[in-house]
Amino acid sequence: MTILTEVQHAVVATGLTKVYGQGDAAVHALRGIDVGFATGAFTAIMGPSGSGKSTLMHCLAGLDSVTGGTVTIGNTEITGLSDKQLTLLRRDRIGFVFQAFNLLPTLTAEQNIRLPLDIAGRQADQVLLDRVIETLGLGDRLGHRPSQLSGGQQQRVAVARALISKPQVIFADEPTGNLDSRSGAEVLSFLRRSVRELGQTIVMVTHDPGAASYADRVIFLRDGLLVTEVTSPTPQTVLDTLLKLEA
Amino acid sequence: MLRTTLAGLLAHKLRLLLTSLAITLGVGFIGGTFVLTDTIEVGFQQKFTADAEKVDVAVRSKEDDEIPAELLAKIRAVPGVTDAQGLLGGPAPLLGRNGKAVGNVPTTGISIATGTLARTTVTSGVGPTRPTDAILDENTAKTRQFAIGDTITVLDPEGGKHDFTLVGLFDVGVDQWLAYTGAVGFTAETAQRMTAAKGYREINIAGPNPESLRDAVAALTGPGYRVQTGTELADELARASNIEAGYFRLFLLIFGLIAMFVAALVIYNTFNILVAQRTREMALLRCIGATRTQVFGSIVIESVVVAVLSSALGLVVGLGLGAGALAVLGQLGAPMPTDAPISLKPLTIVVSLLVGMVVTVGAALFPARAATRVPPVAALRSQLEEPTFRAGLVRMIFAGLFLLAGAAVTAIGVTMENGDTALVAVVAGGAVTFLGVLVVSPVLMRPLAAVAGWLPRRLFGVPGRLAVDNSQRNPKRAATTTVALTIGVTLMTLISVVTSTTRESVQAQLDKQFPVDFIVTDQRGPEGSGLPSALAAALRQSPELGTVIETQLTTAKLNGQERVVMNLPSGPETRPTVTEGSFDALTPGTIAVGKQLASAKKLKLGDTVPLATTEAGTVNVRLTALFDEEDVDQAQAILPEADFKRYFGSPGAAAVYVSAKHGVATDVARRAVEAVALPYPTAQVASAAEIRGEFDEALDMVLMIFGGLLGLAVLISILGIANTLSLSVHERTHESALVRALGLTRGQLRGMLSLEALVLGLIGALIGVVLGTVFGWAAMKSMPIETTFTVPAGQILLLIALSGLAGVLAATLPARRAARASIVDALAAA
Repeated sequence: MTILTEVQHAVVATGLTKVYGQGDAAVHALRGIDVGFATGAFTAIMGPSGSGKSTLMHCLAGLDSVTGGTVTIGNTEITGLSDKQLTLLRRDRIGFVFQAFNLLPTLTAEQNIRLPLDIAGRQADQVLLDRVIETLGLGDRLGHRPSQLSGGQQQRVAVARALISKPQVIFADEPTGNLDSRSGAEVLSFLRRSVRELGQTIVMVTHDPGAASYADRVIFLRDGLLVTEVTSPTPQTVLDTLLKLEA
Repeated sequence: MLRTTLAGLLAHKLRLLLTSLAITLGVGFIGGTFVLTDTIEVGFQQKFTADAEKVDVAVRSKEDDEIPAELLAKIRAVPGVTDAQGLLGGPAPLLGRNGKAVGNVPTTGISIATGTLARTTVTSGVGPTRPTDAILDENTAKTRQFAIGDTITVLDPEGGKHDFTLVGLFDVGVDQWLAYTGAVGFTAETAQRMTAAKGYREINIAGPNPESLRDAVAALTGPGYRVQTGTELADELARASNIEAGYFRLFLLIFGLIAMFVAALVIYNTFNILVAQRTREMALLRCIGATRTQVFGSIVIESVVVAVLSSALGLVVGLGLGAGALAVLGQLGAPMPTDAPISLKPLTIVVSLLVGMVVTVGAALFPARAATRVPPVAALRSQLEEPTFRAGLVRMIFAGLFLLAGAAVTAIGVTMENGDTALVAVVAGGAVTFLGVLVVSPVLMRPLAAVAGWLPRRLFGVPGRLAVDNSQRNPKRAATTTVALTIGVTLMTLISVVTSTTRESVQAQLDKQFPVDFIVTDQRGPEGSGLPSALAAALRQSPELGTVIETQLTTAKLNGQERVVMNLPSGPETRPTVTEGSFDALTPGTIAVGKQLASAKKLKLGDTVPLATTEAGTVNVRLTALFDEEDVDQAQAILPEADFKRYFGSPGAAAVYVSAKHGVATDVARRAVEAVALPYPTAQVASAAEIRGEFDEALDMVLMIFGGLLGLAVLISILGIANTLSLSVHERTHESALVRALGLTRGQLRGMLSLEALVLGLIGALIGVVLGTVFGWAAMKSMPIETTFTVPAGQILLLIALSGLAGVLAATLPARRAARASIVDALAAA
């Protein structure tokens, strides 16, 4: 893996395995994955259903324990950290955007955006906050609760929340899965702009070739193994690779 | 459809268990009450039957007068009578090892029948046969440390000491009076001498063929007497005791019903939440063709299954509770039969199961109806809508009506003439007001949560803020959950307000009644011969003591009815408050009476009433003053000192009030008083502080009993909070996972749920404390006694703190479960 030595990596996994269950019922979700995610890059993880892409993301983000191998975020090896240490690591160094249930219904949009900082007891970077809010076009929505926002607006709030704590890496799990194509495109553009303009590192799991094409690089998983990757993807190259994989 | 319902129930055993527990506890309490009282009733019946069967015919006076001795001689002469013995009893103070009469009231001396008519159960030794024999009840012998063979001393009515040989011990059985006073048994002749009884309480007759014997005796005694066979007597005694057991049962059942009402709220809430959570499931059922009726039915069936299981379990719990309570009562030596076999009547089974079924299924009907309103299309919606709540106009109108009506009825009760009707009005007003609060409570939840959550929100950062927000999320649910707790807290506050007000008022009254340091009384009360004047004289000689005031009491017929009459005490500080007229006008030939007696008998100043005296025949006395009876210990009428002596001679002092000389320590003064009183066996020395202490203890006991009985309702409401929280936790799985992913630690998540429960508990307590205080005040206002209203701030704060704690406790399990859940699983469940 020459790539590991050439660029700075925000997240690195080596020999990552994950097994669910035991004995005959054991499911090998990840069979030994070595991968690095470059700092300041937008990487998409793709693969057919059951390929292990969500599991990989959960293990990388410290949401799930690993069976073997290591995961390093920045200079910290997160495999082997206690639950409390992992929680604090997530709080301070990782941002999340999920497919749904991204926001707390009792909080306003602004409160939702500030939530990770509030939990950590940190002050928001007001310049960054204003810029993110302006960029995402949420200025007139800050006092609204999630139930008063459209799906696209809700996801933009989630993106703003992920950006505001300046995490080392943002993990996005099918962030556009529940959106119509226009809203989806907006959210993806914002994600890409945050990489270009703010130098944010983003790792996104998706099954949509169109969404993957916003990334700088797409890695492909099949049956718990990393099989190939595409750099500077277009929807067509991604689709072609997928079709080849499934063939 | 049935199979779907059952499968759903089995899939959520824990939920089923929590829901059932509320009903199980309520049904258990009701079942236990029946088991307990039924068993006691059976025990009474057995005891009375065993007791009265030894007698063939019993004669008692209808008017509770004593039966003259001549009648016994006549009955003995009736053909067929093989034996007839008179039973008598009266005060016969037993002296303890220190030479003072034992107990607060004199021991009762009774005659012990012999031969076939012997009804007393002599448990060790033998019955009295010689004039110098005596037997003691087991309990008195034990507490006063007398053993068979000891010599015991008993006072005769004139205060003369008589020694007896203790030859046996006996069991007083279910006679509550004897159990209270303690009893000493003699032969019939000795008993008559020792108690100065002029006649008999009862005559027991033995002979063949009780029915014809009864008729023969009845013909002899005439209509003034009740002549019954032994069996009839046993039945009547058992009936009387059953009425008592019936009151006991009613008292307990009230608490059982309160518990069931709370349980109904818990069930209602649980099913409501279940329906809300399964909106998608219901919608899916509707999509694939289930009718509204089927959806309704499925919820009802679920409630029926819960009802049957929990009611049956409740019955088992009830058996255990009943048996446990009997064991405890037996251990405490309560004067009731606790050794009868546990009685489970069919009625108990029917009532328990029926109450459990009706409450559970009834409470589930509204949620079941709500389930039928779920549109099939809800199955297709991706995210469930957050329930919105608006204070509807109808709700506000109903709440307003209930609250107005409640306030009006209560106001009527408070302002009307004091008495039972006033109290009933206050109770009714309280019930209606509570309904109003129940209706309006969802509207109150948000502002109250803001109040109760003010501190947590500021102290606990993000978890605190989220917790308070969550507690305000679903006002209806929060309202039903907290109102369940409110019921218990309201009643506890009410009882504590009533007891503390009573305490304060009685203390003030005691201060007036005993404006001195010590009071020396005759244990035998107004019927006794009183304390000799030598005692007061000796007290006056004592250098440690200051004021010594004698009061004399006697009973006499005033205006035809027996009243307690007192001489006017010499010290003005020991005189009661005059409400009309003046004690200065209490000149020879006049009288003062209590204002309550005067108003009951429509007496006014200037009236002349006849007074039957022992020394001067019947005299007419003029009413010149009314006084407050609450200021004196027991007197209903007061005579001038000289008149009292002229009418009744010098009966001896009923009470001597003594104050320590200024600067003398209380314990030194007390020793001085006791030393002077030592030669007078029936002279009891009490300090004002002791009298207050005894009263305090009695009130504390009342508070504890009510607290214990209301504890069940509180426990059920805590189960309700736990249930609501665990269902909320289940609903908010995704949110919990999200905040965990965003960096909330497990501890913080647990803390968040505990805080939410704390807020709920505090809201319930706040409403309860306000209601309890207001209605405690109203209840005391409606009582026919003057009271100083006091709010027991300490107790109320403790109650609020305990409610908060109860909430936190209820959150323990749900919070653990929420914190333990895997983030990935919770997110994946989307």
